[in-house]
Amino acid sequence: MSATAAAVHSLWTTRALADTAATPAIPTPHIEYAQLSPVLIVFGAAVLGVLIEAFAPRAARYAGQLAVSVVGLAAAFAALVALAADGYAQGRSHVAAMGAVAVDGPALFLQGTIVLIALVATFTFAERRLDPVAHGNRVDSFAAQGSAVPGGEQEQKAVRAGFTTTEVFPLLLFAVAGMMIFPAADDLLTLFVSLEVFSLPLYLLCALARRRRLMSQEASVKYFLLGAFSSAILLFGIALLYGYAGTVSYGGIADVVDGTAKLTPALANTTGNDALLLIGGAMVVMGLLFKVAAVPFHMWTPDVYQGAPTPVTGFMAAAVKVAAFGALLRLLYVVLPGMRWDWRPVMWGVAIVTMVVGAIIAVTQTDVKRLLAYSSIAHAGFLLTGVIAVSPSGVSSVLFYLVAYSFVTLGGFAVVTLVRDAGGEATHLSKWAGLGRRSPLLAAVFAVFLLSFAGIPLTAGFSGKFAVFKAAAQGGAVPLVVVGVISSAIAAFFYIRVIVMMFFQEPQPQGPTVAIPSPLTSTAIALGVAVTLVLGVAPQYFLDLAGKAGVFVR
Amino acid sequence: MNLAAAHPGFLSPTGVEVAFVLVGLATLGAALLTVTTRQLVHAALWLVVALGGLAVEYLLLTAEFIAWVQVLIYVGSVVVLLLFGLMLTKAPIGRSPDADSGNRWVALAVAVAAAGTLVWVVVDAFRTTWIDLGGPAQGSTEVTGAILFRHWVLPFEALSVLLLAALVGAIVLSKRTGRER
Repeated sequence: MSATAAAVHSLWTTRALADTAATPAIPTPHIEYAQLSPVLIVFGAAVLGVLIEAFAPRAARYAGQLAVSVVGLAAAFAALVALAADGYAQGRSHVAAMGAVAVDGPALFLQGTIVLIALVATFTFAERRLDPVAHGNRVDSFAAQGSAVPGGEQEQKAVRAGFTTTEVFPLLLFAVAGMMIFPAADDLLTLFVSLEVFSLPLYLLCALARRRRLMSQEASVKYFLLGAFSSAILLFGIALLYGYAGTVSYGGIADVVDGTAKLTPALANTTGNDALLLIGGAMVVMGLLFKVAAVPFHMWTPDVYQGAPTPVTGFMAAAVKVAAFGALLRLLYVVLPGMRWDWRPVMWGVAIVTMVVGAIIAVTQTDVKRLLAYSSIAHAGFLLTGVIAVSPSGVSSVLFYLVAYSFVTLGGFAVVTLVRDAGGEATHLSKWAGLGRRSPLLAAVFAVFLLSFAGIPLTAGFSGKFAVFKAAAQGGAVPLVVVGVISSAIAAFFYIRVIVMMFFQEPQPQGPTVAIPSPLTSTAIALGVAVTLVLGVAPQYFLDLAGKAGVFVR
Repeated sequence: MNLAAAHPGFLSPTGVEVAFVLVGLATLGAALLTVTTRQLVHAALWLVVALGGLAVEYLLLTAEFIAWVQVLIYVGSVVVLLLFGLMLTKAPIGRSPDADSGNRWVALAVAVAAAGTLVWVVVDAFRTTWIDLGGPAQGSTEVTGAILFRHWVLPFEALSVLLLAALVGAIVLSKRTGRER
C-alpha cells in the first residue's frame, strides 16, 4: 500500500486491503442452545402457530393452535425443569448467549412460573362454552374479525360465518417468549428488545374483545400509547446508563458503579459525574415500574384491565407482573446494588404510595375487573416491600409471592368470565349480589380467591405477604411493613365486602347467570384454588424452592 | 505520512474536509428550501436532497453502514411514504398559498434553539479533539456486522420475532375476508 492510498479513509481502501490480505472470518457466536431451549421451544411453537394460521383450513385451526400451544408450553416447562435439575439454578448458573441472557435460579424460577401461567391462560383463551352458540358456532372471548366495525353489518356477517381470531394463540406465545427473556436479560439491549417482544402482542390482544369492542379498542390504544412512552423513557435511560458506563451489560455497569472496572480516560471522565447514572437508572426503573403498575405509573391499569378480554386481563395481570418484577429484581440487585443508598429511599416512597393508593381507590370501585385491577396495584406495592429488602430472602420472598399472586389472579379473572348476563360478562358489582344463593360453588371459589388476595391465613396470599414482610422487616424496613399491614387491612375491607355481598344479600330478579364452563376453564379455576390452598397450608416446600433459586449470577 | 493523520490542524483542509463542508452547505440549503417552499411536492423532493446530503456526510466520515441505512430508511421509505401521503390525500400539485402556518415564528424559534443546543453540545464535547478516521473504521459495515452477529445475535433474533409478531398483529387487526370486498 502506498502512503497516498493510506491517507484516504479506510472506506475507500477496504476493497484494496481485502485483496491484499485475506479478511479474517468472523468467529461464530457461542450460543448455548440447550440452555436457551425453553425460550426457543416457545418461539418455535409460536412460529408453528403462525404457519397453522396460514395453511390449515379454518375449521382445523382452533384445535391445532390449542394443541401446539399446550404442547409447546409443556415442553418448555419440561426443558426448564431439566435445566434446573442439571444444576443451572445454582452451581452451574452462568451468563449465556454472548452475555445476552442469564441462566440462573431466579431466571429459571420466573420462566417456569411464566410458562405455567401461560399454560393456564391458554385454557381460558380457548374456552368456547361461555357465550351462547352464535349461528351454530361456538365462540370464544375474542372478536370474530378485528377489522370489522363494532356493531356493523360486517361484524354480523363475520359472526354468522363463524370466524374466530385464532391468531391469539401465536400472539400469546410470542408474548410468553418475550416475558421469558425479560427477567433473564443480562444486558440492557436484550432487556429493551424483550420488553417490546412481550408488549406488542399484549397491546394487540387487548383490542380483540368480542363484547364491548369499543371499550376494548380504547383500552388497547391507551395501553399502546402509554406503553410506548414508558418504552421510550426506558430506552432513554439505557442510553444514559451507556453514556455513564460505556457498556450495556449488567455486570459491566455494576463494575463501573462499584469502581472495580479498569479505569480508562473516557471512563474517568464520565464516572466523575453521577448525574448520568442517577437519571439513567431512574428512567430504566421507571420503565419497569410502569409495567408492574406501581403508583405514579399506574394510570393505565384499571382502564386496560377493564377493557381487555377477561382471559387476556388475567394473563396480563399475572404474567407481566412476574416478568417485570423479575427484571426489576435483576436490575436492582445485579446492576445497581452499589447504588442502593440512592434507590432505596425512592423505592420506599413508591412502595408506600402504591400500597396505600391501590388499597384506598379499590374501596370505591363498583366494577369487578376494576376492583381486581386496583388490587393488583396494591399487590405491586406489597411486592416492592420485598424488593426493598436487599437480601437473598428478599429475592426468594418476591419469587414466592409472585407464584402465589399470579395463580390466584388467573383463577379470579377466570371466575369473572363465568358470571354473565345478556350483554356478556356481568362485571358490575351490584349484579354479583346474592351470587352465593344462585351458585354456591362459584361464589365459594371466588371467596377463596378474595381471601387469598386479602392475605387471610391458610391461603397463598398470607404466606406470600408474610414472606415479603418478614424479609422487609429483616432488611430494616419496619415502618414499611407497618404501612403494608395497614393497607392490607384496608384492602381486606373491600374483598370481604364482595364476599358479604355474594353470600348475605338477596339476588336481584334479573341478575346474571353462571355459565357452565368447559373443562378448560374449570381446570384453570381448579388449579387456582389448588395453588391457593397448597401454598397457604403447606408453603414450606415452595418457600425452600424459591430460597434455593434466590441467587443472581453476575 | 499524510496531512490528515499527522497534522491535527483545521487550517489546512484536505480534500475530504472541503467536500464535507460543501456537502454540508448544500444539505443546509436543501433543508431550508424544504421548509420554505410553497409547493408540497417540491418540499418532499428537497427533503430527499437534504437527507441524501446527510448520507454523503456519513460516507465522508467513513460511517458507510449508517450512510446506507440513511439512504434506505430516510431517503427510501420515509420520503416515499411522504409522497404516497401527498398522492393519497390529493394534495395540490402547484403552489399552495395556505401552506404557511401561523406558528411559523414559534417553529423557527424552536428549530434555532434545537440547532443551537446540538451545535453547542457537539462543539463542547469534542472541541479540538482529533479523531483519525484512517484507523480501524468503527462505523464500517464489516465491524457493525461482526459485532451485531457475534455479541448481539440474541437480541437481533428477538427483534426479528418482534417483527413477525407485529406482522401477525397487523393482519389480525386489518384482515377482511368477507365476500363483499
